[in-house]
Amino acid sequence: MKSISGLSVALAAALSFGGGNAAKGQSQPSAPHDDGQWTMPGKDYASTRFSGLTQITAGNAKRLRPMWSFSTGVLGGHEGQPLVVGNTMYVVTPYPNVVYAFDLTKEGYPLRWKYRPDVNGAAIGIACCDVVNRGAFYANGRLFYNLLDGHTVALDAATGKEIWKTKVADLNRGETTPMAPLVVKDRVIVGTSGGEFGVRGWVKGLDVRTGNLVWTGYSTGPDAEVLAKPGTFKPYYEKGTDLAQNSWPGDTWKNGGAPVWGWMSYDAELDLIYYGTGNPAPWNTEQRPGENRWATSVMARRPQDGALRWAYQFTPADNWDFDSTQEMILTDLTVKGKPRKALVHFDKNGFVYTMDRATGELLLAEPYVQVNWARRIDLETGKPEVDSSKTTGASKGTVKDICPTLEGGKNQQPAAFSPITRLFYVSTSNMCMDYSVANVSYIAGTPYIGAATPYKAGPGGNLGAFIAYDAARGKKVWEIKEPYPVWSGALATGGGVVFYGTLDGWFKAADARSGKLLYKFKVGSGVIGNPISFKGPDGKQYIALYAGFGGDWGLLSGDVRSDDPDDIRPPASFMPDIARHTSQGGIVWVFGLGDSQ
Amino acid sequence: MTAIRTLAGLIVLCLAGGAAQAQRSAPPAINYDQHVDAGGTPPPAGTLENPLKGDKQAAEDGGKLFSSFNCDGCHGGGALGAEGPSLADGRWKYGGTDGEIYHSIFYGRPRGMPAWGGTLPPDAIWRLVSYLKSQEPKRDTLSTTSW
Repeated sequence: MKSISGLSVALAAALSFGGGNAAKGQSQPSAPHDDGQWTMPGKDYASTRFSGLTQITAGNAKRLRPMWSFSTGVLGGHEGQPLVVGNTMYVVTPYPNVVYAFDLTKEGYPLRWKYRPDVNGAAIGIACCDVVNRGAFYANGRLFYNLLDGHTVALDAATGKEIWKTKVADLNRGETTPMAPLVVKDRVIVGTSGGEFGVRGWVKGLDVRTGNLVWTGYSTGPDAEVLAKPGTFKPYYEKGTDLAQNSWPGDTWKNGGAPVWGWMSYDAELDLIYYGTGNPAPWNTEQRPGENRWATSVMARRPQDGALRWAYQFTPADNWDFDSTQEMILTDLTVKGKPRKALVHFDKNGFVYTMDRATGELLLAEPYVQVNWARRIDLETGKPEVDSSKTTGASKGTVKDICPTLEGGKNQQPAAFSPITRLFYVSTSNMCMDYSVANVSYIAGTPYIGAATPYKAGPGGNLGAFIAYDAARGKKVWEIKEPYPVWSGALATGGGVVFYGTLDGWFKAADARSGKLLYKFKVGSGVIGNPISFKGPDGKQYIALYAGFGGDWGLLSGDVRSDDPDDIRPPASFMPDIARHTSQGGIVWVFGLGDSQ
Repeated sequence: MTAIRTLAGLIVLCLAGGAAQAQRSAPPAINYDQHVDAGGTPPPAGTLENPLKGDKQAAEDGGKLFSSFNCDGCHGGGALGAEGPSLADGRWKYGGTDGEIYHSIFYGRPRGMPAWGGTLPPDAIWRLVSYLKSQEPKRDTLSTTSW
């Protein structure tokens, strides 16, 4: 019962500040109530990654210090974030997907339990980009998460005992499941990776009690399988039937990618879930002439039956591997003088989109990093105005200097939104690329890519930046330049402090209004996970995050691992010295204020 | 069936030059399951000789196969490593003789290497082996990095 009331408080907090604060607009909003827990990946269904806790402030953040750390014993890239429910902190590791439950009431946070799943090692060769896991979701006394090898698991949060385990994805078809599930009422919603393996992307709705499959909604194919039902499916821009089949030649949609591996949001009032889809497959656009819906798109579905309400494609006929799996942050903004129920999305393609989340209408689209593949996004048609000199394909040879890279202006690392400053806090990359692709053959269970895409620094030479962005006006407010791509998520807090981590292994705290650096600490390995904040049993505010270099950079950085004497790589051309600052290693950190006032 | 036919077509296409030799190099009749475990050291009886050893054309063909069978998707362009390990550093987890590399491709390896024995004919595997051997550095120059 306690856990159920905890969740409903979190839900109420998530849904309350949206309408209220935005409508009043001008007065200085104070931090919304926060129960001190962090029960789902994005903190709330709106995916704000905002904690209302106020003890850590711009004034005292210099007194932050590490309070506790724990080696996960796993070397893969540590994306995702811990959860804190009541007096327990839950941590999911990359493959082999161990779950640790720490007792926060005892000195040293000893384990309450540990879960060691039986997970198929063959999944390592089917995961495109390191063996990451993006975390668990807590609901009603249960912990839900995905194993890399295509299983969704429900555990008793008190004991770690397995309640059910369902096979949702098929390794033999190139499917893996690193994403965190979303639990809404009696559904557990999961998606598949495999945009680099020619999957046919999907999301599935499972019964929360039994794990049984209730519905499957594909990203591509005929309306009946995309769950685009007449009368329910009302996209704002596109008209017609079988849009997700007719925009592909022949049956290329069957291996067309459009995977689902990022974050999901939910609006209880509209009863819609929102998520983005990944790149169309293969990368060579000449093998799939057409707009390739619904790859590189946002989908709005009903959780109960998966019915598609609307969809919008950010990058039609993607030429650059611009997945759109980045989070959809739901908040109410005043755009061009009108209050809107908005959805804000920082896309890999370098534009930030502010949309009406009820209808799918595009309200604003501005670049938030250096962009040259498109001149602008036409708000009337919703389409990008593409620079034809930056289009790619097997017949075009090497196309030079495309910005941003396929790593994106931003990639998996989720942004945060503060209802106090009304700003979004975003980890970004500042890089450009050359791009050459070849014709590739589909062989089930093997990569379906065929590209060479060397990276280089964007303007200014810094490879990344942590920025504050005003999505109501389409303007960057401040930035902290970083030498390497910033690959951690962001955390905003009621005390006016924002937090992130860097690829070279720093945990940093900055003033939410000015971007002034307040505190930093070297956490032992590069950070690609997402900081969270919680209130401990002692009533104090803490920040937790993972160190653990990896993800795309684990593949591309060259000499960053030392555990395998038989795998020696030269340094990466675009950041030859990253291995001077970090190597692999998974560590959970907790930071708090020192004792002295 | 169509998948198999497509693959066969692909191999013919890729090896237009070397296809005439395709019949000659079937592996010796050994029951591999009893003698070779993935990850173990094969007993001497399992040793295979590369019938195309030193054949530059075979190595070149292998480079094409390395792309057309999507090996580069995991092991990277030039076999320099990506999600899968580097195969161009001269260091081998499961042994670096031609025969050992043949086994790794034929049977696959744990942690994600598919078993290609049911898909690729022996001749194509030997060409891949020849390509990888041609990528090896003459001596180990990668063991120290300094800034």
